[in-house]
Amino acid sequence: MGPYILRRLVSSIPVLFLVTLISFSLMQLVPGDPAILVAGLNATPEEVERVREQLGLNQPFHVQLLSWYANLLRGDLGTSFLLGRDVLEVTIERLPVSISIALYALVLTLLVGILSGVLAALRQNSWVDQAVMTFALIGVSVPNFWLGLMLIVLFAVHLGWLPSGGYVDFRDDLFGWLQATTLPAISLAMLQMGLLARITRSTMLEVLRQDYIRTARAKGLPEHRVVGLHALKNAMIPVVTVIGIIFSLLLSGSVVIETIFSIPGLGSLLGSAILRRDYPVIQGGLLLVATMLLLLNLLVDVLYAYFDPRVRYRDGQ
Amino acid sequence: MGLTSARRFSALMLTSALVAFAASEARAAFECPVTGGDLVFGQEAKVNSLDMHASSTISTRNIAMHMLEALLTRDEDNNPILELAKSVDVSDDGLVYTFTLRDGIKFHNGKPMTSADVAASFDRYKKVGIESVILSNVASWETPDPMTFVITMSQAQPTFLEDLSSFSVPIVIVPAELTNADPLKLEPVGTGPFEFVEFIADSHVKLKRYEDYVPNEQFEERTGFGGYKVACLDTVTFRIVTEPGARVAGLETGELHAVEDVPQASVARLEEDPNINIVPYENFWIHIATPNFAKPPTDDPLVRKAIQTALDMDEIMEAATDGAYNTNFGFQTQNRAVYSDSGQEFFNLKDADKAKQLLEEAGYNGEELVLLTNRDYTTMYNAALVMQAQLQAIGMNVRLEVQDWPATIATRDNQPDAWNYHFTGWGTNTSLGYLAVFKFLAKPRPIYNFANPEDTVADFDEAYHDMLNLTTFEERAEAFARAQYAVMEHGIALPFGWLTKNQATRANVHNFVPFRIPRMYNVWMETS
Repeated sequence: MGPYILRRLVSSIPVLFLVTLISFSLMQLVPGDPAILVAGLNATPEEVERVREQLGLNQPFHVQLLSWYANLLRGDLGTSFLLGRDVLEVTIERLPVSISIALYALVLTLLVGILSGVLAALRQNSWVDQAVMTFALIGVSVPNFWLGLMLIVLFAVHLGWLPSGGYVDFRDDLFGWLQATTLPAISLAMLQMGLLARITRSTMLEVLRQDYIRTARAKGLPEHRVVGLHALKNAMIPVVTVIGIIFSLLLSGSVVIETIFSIPGLGSLLGSAILRRDYPVIQGGLLLVATMLLLLNLLVDVLYAYFDPRVRYRDGQ
Repeated sequence: MGLTSARRFSALMLTSALVAFAASEARAAFECPVTGGDLVFGQEAKVNSLDMHASSTISTRNIAMHMLEALLTRDEDNNPILELAKSVDVSDDGLVYTFTLRDGIKFHNGKPMTSADVAASFDRYKKVGIESVILSNVASWETPDPMTFVITMSQAQPTFLEDLSSFSVPIVIVPAELTNADPLKLEPVGTGPFEFVEFIADSHVKLKRYEDYVPNEQFEERTGFGGYKVACLDTVTFRIVTEPGARVAGLETGELHAVEDVPQASVARLEEDPNINIVPYENFWIHIATPNFAKPPTDDPLVRKAIQTALDMDEIMEAATDGAYNTNFGFQTQNRAVYSDSGQEFFNLKDADKAKQLLEEAGYNGEELVLLTNRDYTTMYNAALVMQAQLQAIGMNVRLEVQDWPATIATRDNQPDAWNYHFTGWGTNTSLGYLAVFKFLAKPRPIYNFANPEDTVADFDEAYHDMLNLTTFEERAEAFARAQYAVMEHGIALPFGWLTKNQATRANVHNFVPFRIPRMYNVWMETS
């Protein structure tokens, strides 16, 4: 397993290089001059040019690119055009915010998605099955920004149970964090809950039809052991493979949710950076996200081996 | 009241001060009916930095101008007034400005303000200030003593004090020891009624009352960015809430005590809530489109006239703003001393038949007219949609080119063959006054002809030059009227109307009066 992990890590480097090269090139191609956005519309051409020089934007494309890579090797992701702060510092300070909400959403997704999928499979064609599948359909159909606003109207404005927005750091106040992130996490998780419920139901149904399940029941095992010990573990194999994708989607979907709920996370930072052509933040942020996703996929592959002992990663395999 | 000439400025202020002093028995300076409370304000735009020298964004100004002050600023009617300076004397040749600083002013770090701090702040602004062009006619500045700051001009500029009092990117005064900061990194240590507590990017900025603040006793009440300012509130938190629905929800739940920009669609519902007051800010900006003289068919004055003649501005503004507008004509509002209706005969004509006639006269042959707009500001997008429909109704071939806001600026500036009208809004410049409102149309880079900046409208250029250089206010006002007429006659810009920005507070918040920034000084809040 060790050599396999090392090989995967090394092979990530060209992937990350490609991500940064493509994002750098694309941003240069997109119209919009960061120097004008920094200097403001009232600035004279001389002032804009001064800002352009300050930001290094008057350099040719290849010089800017090579300079960025050279700095990257020193661990320097540059300085935000608009914030005037170190990109690494700015992105890392927002990472716990986005990850904490994505993790909360993931927990909700797994709990609700898997439980409802299992329930639907065990009660196939019953009203329970119909209800779960309807819920899943709503989950995949409703836009999360609309859901977020509706949750605010219901739980914040009418019921007053939860705040309408803002963020509380979990390190300062765990209960406050829970209150502030529940509605965003639900909005974020809804789509994935629906998808996961459907996937879990399908895989459970397939597993429940297997001979070894019939054998387990024939042996007289209680149903909860048949489902929990034998069926669920096998049904989780395909589920584990999508968890990595689910978490990636939860992280990338955070841009809209962080905007709705006024959460100072990485998604909101990247979204603003793109709109305002803050190239260093876009580059640095995308690199960070790509790195996280690559590591996440590696973790998923390792977990897959745990769930399925038949899978072992060896040299050359 | 307006600034008519530099030398009369100090006389005017001195007179005002004497009158204020004499009347002090009858009318005392503002006092807080209630002191205390933590007000949370929902702001619509993110804040990049609190460095007022290096940021031109409204979101920075909203907050920073509670902590930072300048030698001069603007009053409620946009007239220049003294702030950190108690007087200014101008030499007969208009080349030397001598500012005497107000006594007893301290920075938030406890240090007394002196002319050395003023000089250092000016030094920094010259180096990194976004609008350092303000100082382009300044030869030097000196500090003969701690309470005197002297500016020497390289050439006389009758409008220098107007420029110096600009609130767009003001030359705020900060402690000298902080002025080596890189752009965007200036610590917001100032002399204002509130001082800095914390700034969590994309979340909030928190300020607290500055206990040693010295109000300007030349006034009795807040006025514009200056006047007699008092921090009644203990703290003010500017929370960044970019989503309009979330802002309204926060106001309704009471998590937000005041908000910037309530969607017009929510106003009627909120007006029925006894806990909420809607506070409309009329004439917030002019909705406008600027033409491109370099690309047919807008290179033809008759076609531009046809377009002007066809447009129904009420219909356009109704769609753009859901009714939060007025179509009062003029590039300055009627309450301004410089107001003129010169050129009104070209505005809001709604005459499709005459427009068709003009098109025929121009020999218009179906050339494509491109309206460059964006969805970042839905008002601009909606205005473009309606304009497209109105022009199609008179037989024009009109296409919308929709990009995001930064891309539209880049297209406008760099691709003269890609657009005919660019949709935008003029807020800051119109509120800065007549000397600033036509800045975008003036040489050396008039936005209506970037491709051929020497090929401009002579009438306008001459009037604009007079506006900036004639010595009396009356002469400059007359020049403004001529400039406005030229803008309308030649179709250099296409104003649609004025947008109203709806702001709102909870009912326990008092004395919140909308302005270019959401002023939290002289605002008080009942907390029980």
